[in-house]
Amino acid sequence: MSLRGEVALVLRGARMQRRVIGALIIREMHTRFGRHYFGYIWLFFEPLLLGTCIGLIHLLRDSPSTFGPFEFYAIGYVVYFIFRGIINRASSAITGNIGLLYHRTITLPDIFFARHIIETVSVTGVLVVFLFVLFAINGDFPENPTKIALAMIGMALLSQGIALVAAAATEAVEGIERGIHAITYLALPVCGMFFLVEWLPDWLQELALYIPTVHIFELLRDGQFGSRFRAHYDISYVMGWIMVTHLIGLAALRITRQRIGLE
Amino acid sequence: MTISMKLSPPITLSESAVSQIGSPQNQAPQPRSWLFRFWRKPFFLLVILPSLIAAFYYYAIAAPQYVSEARFVVHSRGNDGGLQAAAMRAAAGAALGGLGGGASSSETNSIRDFLSSLDAVMQADEKLDLVALWRRPEADFLAQLWFTEPERLARFYNQMVSVALDPSTSVTTLRVRSFRPEDSKELAETLLGAAETLVNRLSERIRNDTLQAARYEVEISERRVQQSSTALIRFREQEKELDSAGAVQAAVVLRGQFEGSLAQARAELTERLQFMRPDNPALQATRNRIEALERQIAAERSRHTDTTSPLGGAILASQLAEYERLMLEREFSNKQLASATAGLEVARMEAQRQQLYLSRIVQPNLAVYALYPRKIINVASIFLGLAIAYGIGRLLIVGMREHAS
Repeated sequence: MSLRGEVALVLRGARMQRRVIGALIIREMHTRFGRHYFGYIWLFFEPLLLGTCIGLIHLLRDSPSTFGPFEFYAIGYVVYFIFRGIINRASSAITGNIGLLYHRTITLPDIFFARHIIETVSVTGVLVVFLFVLFAINGDFPENPTKIALAMIGMALLSQGIALVAAAATEAVEGIERGIHAITYLALPVCGMFFLVEWLPDWLQELALYIPTVHIFELLRDGQFGSRFRAHYDISYVMGWIMVTHLIGLAALRITRQRIGLE
Repeated sequence: MTISMKLSPPITLSESAVSQIGSPQNQAPQPRSWLFRFWRKPFFLLVILPSLIAAFYYYAIAAPQYVSEARFVVHSRGNDGGLQAAAMRAAAGAALGGLGGGASSSETNSIRDFLSSLDAVMQADEKLDLVALWRRPEADFLAQLWFTEPERLARFYNQMVSVALDPSTSVTTLRVRSFRPEDSKELAETLLGAAETLVNRLSERIRNDTLQAARYEVEISERRVQQSSTALIRFREQEKELDSAGAVQAAVVLRGQFEGSLAQARAELTERLQFMRPDNPALQATRNRIEALERQIAAERSRHTDTTSPLGGAILASQLAEYERLMLEREFSNKQLASATAGLEVARMEAQRQQLYLSRIVQPNLAVYALYPRKIINVASIFLGLAIAYGIGRLLIVGMREHAS
């Protein structure tokens, strides 16, 4: 087959895949929130509520520092919410949607892409709401919105990579999904949401910088209040994590697809 | 050679026999075809070829870059500043269950920030002409400095100069890369010099800040002492009186003498009346003396204490009050001056203690072997990155293709 024919085939496939993902998004929304419109609001409401609560708790508890506690924790939590939402749902994605695989045009990654788009879009919406409300109340706008957007994208991609691996692992080994839930809870204190690397003692700083989400949160805070602290992050490290997890995850899902097909 | 020649025909025969059904013209010479097919593979085009190009660049073209390294410590003998940072650390420590934090002084941080700032670039550029330094003829096209605007120069500078602070030992490591060993050494030397100047300036500033308040205090109390003594002098000139307290003392003594004389005179009168007739002229002298003494006493009293007296001139009582106020003022101001002088002395010692200085641990070295560019690491990471990206891309594209079929 000629190169041009190949490209045309891939493009046709890409268009088809886009439509499949679009349809899967609508289906996912229906199964998760029901068919009435109020359900969709819950999608935005959940991160908004949790973020506000966490922000308010810290606002009341913490002594005032150079960072507004509300900005620090609420926005941090919203970004963490992507991580939590995507990874916690990963283990149930295949078993919940196995029936869809009877359609030849639906592949396993499509199911994940659709879910992750929903999570990312809803959380991004909440983040924008937070930023604008804070701007309206305090009048201080994030110093570098591009960095915040980059952090969001990085977090979504990293979560997607980990979710792909986690889903394939769940399918391969029985009972791993409980471990994944536990890990997302245990990850909360160490993922970088509650601290800046700068605050840690030196020996812990080095250890903390092995965790990819710490880099993402540092990038986020650099975008929020970059001039008020010294950010420690390395985008190429996060990129490495994203790429390796995607490679393993996508390859593992292909193997998983064949295994499921045999059953 | 001969063996392979003998062995190859059957293989090609069987293969061609299989493929003959589809395409009889597929008779490319077999030893070439493996390489040829590999040449057309996307993996080769997208991963191996770029890696080979990178390897060619790093091994054949790239100019060696020499590193000069220096290490230094910023000593501050006083308490280290950065209270806020300490508070932050304490807060974080509390949140994480009381983990202690290592201290790195704010001065060291400020030196590090200075060394990566545009200011340091401009200072070094004034002395060394950084543009020429990073555009030496031996520099290769890719690695040399491209843009000479200050901000972009600063960006390039931050690629070539790294300042790393080890917080546990607070030793700062300065690494300078350039295309000649002497250049690296010279730039490192210049930057260390600039950092030393900055440290001295900071130190001077801290010392002045500490001393300034104490000096001001001394100045104020000196002025007060001066004012009080001039006021005293003026008072003495005005009242023609050297020592009001003494004058009062004298007046009291005088009055006591008068009172004594009066009592004596009265006693004498009473005594004489015992044996003299009241109209005896001898008594008149005594009476006159008593009268004179009484008048004298009244006059003295009014002169010293009567504030309503219309006779101008200072009344001794108010004069004494004024005098005592002035004396008290002088005493206070003297005491204040003494304590301010002591404070200045303390502040001077404090300033001596808070002095900052930069001490070099490792002098900038003259490189012999070019450590940069790191050929193996760079080529390997390029290859690895491209291979992973290729793998992901391939998986995604295969996924897309599946939808079309």
